Amino acid sequence: MNLIECRNLTREYHKADTVIRPLDGVDLDVERGEFLALMGPSGSGKTTLLNLIAGIDAPTAGTIVVDGVDITRLSRNRLAAWRSVHVGYVFQLYNLIPVLTAFENVELPLLLQKLSRRERRARTGNALEAVGIADRADHFPRQLSGGQEQRVAIARAIVTDPTIIVADEPTGDLDRPAADDIMNLLTRLNEESHRTILLVTHDPQTAGHADRVIRLDKGRFVSDRRPESVAEAPA
Amino acid sequence: MRQLPFEYAYRNLGRSRVRLFASLLGSGLVVLLVLAAAGFIRGMQLTLAQQDTLHENVVILGAGSEESIERSQIHASVAGIAAASIAGLREAAGVTFVSPEIHTALPVWASADDDQVRHAMMRGVRPVALLVHSEVEIVDGRPPRAGFDELMVGGIASTRLGLADERLAVGRTLYFDNRDWTIVGRFSAPNTVMDAEIWLPITDLQIATRRESSLSCVVVTLDTATFADVDIFAKSRLDLEIIAIGERDYYRSIAAFYRPIRIMIIVTAALIAIGGLLGGLNTMYAAFAARVREIGLLQTLGYTRGAIVLNLTEESVFTAACGAIAGAAMGLLFLDGIAIRFSMGAFAITVDAPVMLTALAGGLLVGFVGAIAPAARCLRMPITEALKAH
Repeated sequence: MNLIECRNLTREYHKADTVIRPLDGVDLDVERGEFLALMGPSGSGKTTLLNLIAGIDAPTAGTIVVDGVDITRLSRNRLAAWRSVHVGYVFQLYNLIPVLTAFENVELPLLLQKLSRRERRARTGNALEAVGIADRADHFPRQLSGGQEQRVAIARAIVTDPTIIVADEPTGDLDRPAADDIMNLLTRLNEESHRTILLVTHDPQTAGHADRVIRLDKGRFVSDRRPESVAEAPA
Repeated sequence: MRQLPFEYAYRNLGRSRVRLFASLLGSGLVVLLVLAAAGFIRGMQLTLAQQDTLHENVVILGAGSEESIERSQIHASVAGIAAASIAGLREAAGVTFVSPEIHTALPVWASADDDQVRHAMMRGVRPVALLVHSEVEIVDGRPPRAGFDELMVGGIASTRLGLADERLAVGRTLYFDNRDWTIVGRFSAPNTVMDAEIWLPITDLQIATRRESSLSCVVVTLDTATFADVDIFAKSRLDLEIIAIGERDYYRSIAAFYRPIRIMIIVTAALIAIGGLLGGLNTMYAAFAARVREIGLLQTLGYTRGAIVLNLTEESVFTAACGAIAGAAMGLLFLDGIAIRFSMGAFAITVDAPVMLTALAGGLLVGFVGAIAPAARCLRMPITEALKAH
């Protein structure tokens, strides 16, 4: 059974008299434990698709069923509660809260769950350990490098043990060694912990870490293939 | 609804020292202002309401002079006639509580060679006045003796005269009616107009004002008698041309006269407070607008809009509360007790519990309203747009 099932997914924006349609009736199935990369030029609809599956945007038409729940039917507050349990989001610009330490940033999603302080702290420590940044737990974001900040962001995304991890250009703001480092970490999380990961990237090398790569253009899928052939395909 | 930790709100205060300082200053000033305005009004109210009057006094004064005792003239015999005619007035040790009085404003000088004229509220009394006006307490010296050019001064008479308080110490003199008068006593009558007055023997004041055969009023204290008894007496003695009015009612009518001033003070304070509120709104909007992406992140993590608004409000109200406490402390230190002159005498700015609560509530309101509107505006933005904000 598929973990994610999107049917006839459409997203439209209205600007004055113009209708912009970044996503135009796509269907998508993602299996549990799959590592899927979404590629395409700017404005192709890849981030829109990611945001819809993550439940931070609502489609104009179509359905999104994640683990048996049609999230398009959830109210705003129920959707927020659903996100807190099922989605771990990794951003290009990390989005760590500057006034909180690395530990507190990672702990933040757990405050939404009914956990004892001891359990919360243990899970936060484990998440930081898993991304190899436990020794920076007391550091504030300004005291960390970009790569370290992204590791903390990944720890924050996995700390709730979410159903899916969505990552929007997670290496877009990093140099190559740091980017490889982050991608190796995400690959390890996928392979060892069987986490389902949806990744948006412009970079074929980054997409090469995924099991499957979907190319979008003008809101539609133009290819859906294994990564071996991605590096050679035109961007 | 799961809440964001208060720690987050608290630490956000440290993001910008300038903003923090502006927020503290804003709420502190609003509190100080509300404190000054409310304390002013409260002081005036307390003074004119004569709330501390222990006994029910009735003032007998000249018909047609209901709005001003100073303009009233009644015959000197009214005191004796009233004492003999009205049954049920308070008595103690054979003394009936009937106080003939002269109320007048006189030009006074600090000394014979002083160029500055000062207007003093004078009350000519007999010793019985200390019984009738039981809130008057001699705190230093003794009552003045008739025929010795002696007087005693109220607690805030110095403010009324525009003199330093020590200038009216026992043993010092004031100059009027072409001679020096020695201050032999000081009295206190807090929250009454008497506190700003100068009292001297009625016979001395009669001579000084050349009104030997007339009084301003007679004040009587009721025991078993009622106001109606005094009123009937006044109305039945047409020959004396007098009327009776409750002492509290008299001062209440004076308070009504000053209502436009109170309204003006309230409106001015409200306008400045609204200015402070708009400043607070601006500061908080700038603070929250800089964190739009962070607010988007919190929503992405699963925090509801309600939880985020609550946290932002906590941050704003906490800052406002700190400013309010500082403002209130300054108000208590520097405003409480300051004496203000007005035409009838003087009164003290009173910072009591109701005034303090009003001022603190004003400060907290700045924090609350200052947060709600900017927070709501930030949260109206879709999450996907908020995450793109710089």
